[in-house]
Amino acid sequence: MQKKRNIQTGADQKFPSFGGVRRGLSFSPPSEGSGEARRVAFKTLGCRLNQYETDALVTDFSSAGYQLVELNQSPDVVVVNTCTVTNQSDQKSRTTISQAARANNNAVVVVTGCMANNFKEKLENQDNITFVVENNRKSSILSLVDAHFSGEILHPNQLPQDVFRYEPVRQSLHTRSALKIQDGCDNFCTFCIIPMVRGRAVSRSVESVLENVRKTIDNGFREIVITGVNIGRYEYEGHRFEDLLEKILEVPGDFRVRISSLEPDGFGDRFVELFQHQKLMPHLHLCLQSGSDKTLLRMRRMYDVDQFRKTVNRFRSVYPDFNFTTDIIVGFPGETEEEFQETLAAVREFNFSHVHTFKYSVRKGTRAERLENHVPEKVKNARSLQVRQLSEENRMKFLKIFVGKEQQVLIEKIVQGTAYGYGESYVPVRFRADGVQKNTVRRVKLLDLKGEGENMYLTGEII
Amino acid sequence: MMSFIKPEIKIDESFYKVEEIRQLTDETFSLKLPKARFAFKAGQHISLGIKGDYQSREYSIYSGANDENLEVLVKEVENGYFTPKLRKLKAGDLVEVHGPFGKFGIEQKDAETGKFVFIASGTGIAPFRSMVRTYPELDYTLIHGVRYSHEAYDKHEYTNDRYILCTSRDKKGTYNGRLTNYLKGCTFAPKTHFYLCGNSDMIFDALEILKDKGFERDQIHCEVYF
Ligand SMILES: Cc1cc2nc3c(=O)[nH]c(=O)nc-3n(C[C@H](O)[C@H](O)[C@H](O)COP(=O)(O)OP(=O)(O)OC[C@H]3O[C@@H](n4cnc5c(N)ncnc54)[C@H](O)[C@@H]3O)c2cc1C
Ligand code: SF4
Repeated sequence: MQKKRNIQTGADQKFPSFGGVRRGLSFSPPSEGSGEARRVAFKTLGCRLNQYETDALVTDFSSAGYQLVELNQSPDVVVVNTCTVTNQSDQKSRTTISQAARANNNAVVVVTGCMANNFKEKLENQDNITFVVENNRKSSILSLVDAHFSGEILHPNQLPQDVFRYEPVRQSLHTRSALKIQDGCDNFCTFCIIPMVRGRAVSRSVESVLENVRKTIDNGFREIVITGVNIGRYEYEGHRFEDLLEKILEVPGDFRVRISSLEPDGFGDRFVELFQHQKLMPHLHLCLQSGSDKTLLRMRRMYDVDQFRKTVNRFRSVYPDFNFTTDIIVGFPGETEEEFQETLAAVREFNFSHVHTFKYSVRKGTRAERLENHVPEKVKNARSLQVRQLSEENRMKFLKIFVGKEQQVLIEKIVQGTAYGYGESYVPVRFRADGVQKNTVRRVKLLDLKGEGENMYLTGEII
Repeated sequence: MMSFIKPEIKIDESFYKVEEIRQLTDETFSLKLPKARFAFKAGQHISLGIKGDYQSREYSIYSGANDENLEVLVKEVENGYFTPKLRKLKAGDLVEVHGPFGKFGIEQKDAETGKFVFIASGTGIAPFRSMVRTYPELDYTLIHGVRYSHEAYDKHEYTNDRYILCTSRDKKGTYNGRLTNYLKGCTFAPKTHFYLCGNSDMIFDALEILKDKGFERDQIHCEVYF
């Protein structure tokens, strides 16, 4: 175990809460002089936005000469990008931090992500963590680590605050590249911790987004996923989300665009029309959360089921096979059986091909924590099961529509002669990988439906 | 060559000193802070924190966009977590303010020509006072539902013909009974902009009544407190 160095001198006069820097404080960088590159490992929990931010950090570190390794390959640096959206994610984040700290006693352990915001002080007091970096400073982790290895004393609080500082993704852990256009949210839905941990809604400049798109395509990505905390709220110097989307679609190149997850408010006809564009994939993850207007109001969701219905119907009247997926929370405080039945009816009616079902769990610091009439765990379990079963029925119905039809499939991986990928409509497809390569798009005729439950997929053959 | 980042020198602008506490009823008071250090639109809210407490709460801004003080209206909730602490604040104490947040507001062009109906329960009147102070020429009707007539916070600021007080527990209101019952008997011009603010049960009932009267959900804006 390396000796810890007391760094509470000098700098702490400016930054009194200096608890965030602990382990790995030796000044002899593990790889210095050996000619070997330093090794960095990443662990990511939570949402697509976190994934994107990790991908961008991977690009940063590899450009700076670090070697990307797994946790069990003695990394010199471990970055844990945490999530705090549910109690389970807190637990997972904690476990991952412990694993990361155990991976190599001397490793610099950087903890970032939403948990770093929500439990900053607690984490800063943990001896197995070197740095705790809040979300708005996450993009500068490389500078922090570099400074550390060259003996510079730099506290995370000294890093610039910029949620859009990320470089375009070059080397990613995935085939698709996410593109962050927005951060934060000030909707304050009663169950959600995000406004507290990601701060208010801010949008990236149009030029910076487009520049990032161009570079990402140049870096070889064939699919871009537009990401943010609440991307429908994009607004930059008079440009709304639709304006930005149109500009992204106009960027020359052979690529396709997906939209990650959207809140169901404020779409006009123009948004629907944009899906005529060949590059824009006909799938939306539109978060309904509940099929009961009363529950939606208690959640502080500012739309009602009828408005949601109008959106779904508007899309499907133009694009009949349009794929909608959603999030549903069951057992929200005060949810009656009748209100839950309304949710089931909505899930059936909107024929979501996938429902991400969350059992409501109390999130400390959210408004819902203080709501009355919490639903017993047993009831939540039963409701969650019902939604999942219905979701599986829906999925089968939805995927069946595609048998006999064709899809352009982006190949994500090839395993033992089988290509795996997703069609335009975000339907999972597998087919024989004769002469095909990863990260290419092939037209596939869909022949059959296989698998069970959420693992259902379409089989096909290349045309 | 490695380039290090210079530390940012940032003075924390989010702390405000309480200037005055205006007691409006036994339970309700307004917290007067110095002028806002940010621009906001009438109807938006802030999040308020007390030093040393990990929790914060949202409060609609009670003052107008051009007023000399930033003000919020707070009702102390029995057995509440935050409001009993707010209640204990004194002039000179520090609070932490973040914001402004939210989309609950009116468009400038509508403010000049539109017809507005504001429907509030209890402290849900807060954003409407801000709107009325910000747009003095506004063509509005404010329907305020409370239990007792003394909860008509700063009533004198609204002209009599625009302020309708519905009291459910005494007979001193413009209308004696529940706000929603009053609403059922109302007629409104077709293009009215509706703004609803307060507790979710009232908002749910009011929405149903307005939809039954043929108004579109898109012309009804809601701000739910709890
Ligand atoms: C956008 C937004 C704006 C808000 N603006 C205001 C405002 O201008 N003034 C204000 O007083 N509150 C406002 N609130 C509510 C406020 O944020 C707190 O919830 C409230 O002050 C109670 O906090 P507490 O910690 O004491 O109660 P908690 O311990 O959190 O208990 C919450 C319970 O208190 C009750 N409650 C909450 N708010 C009120 C209220 N205003 N009147 C009566 N009962 C209530 C409900 O039963 C609720 O379930 C607003 C909430 C939101 C989301
Ligand atoms: S819209 Fe609601 S659920 Fe989504 S991030 Fe914002 S507060 Fe959370």
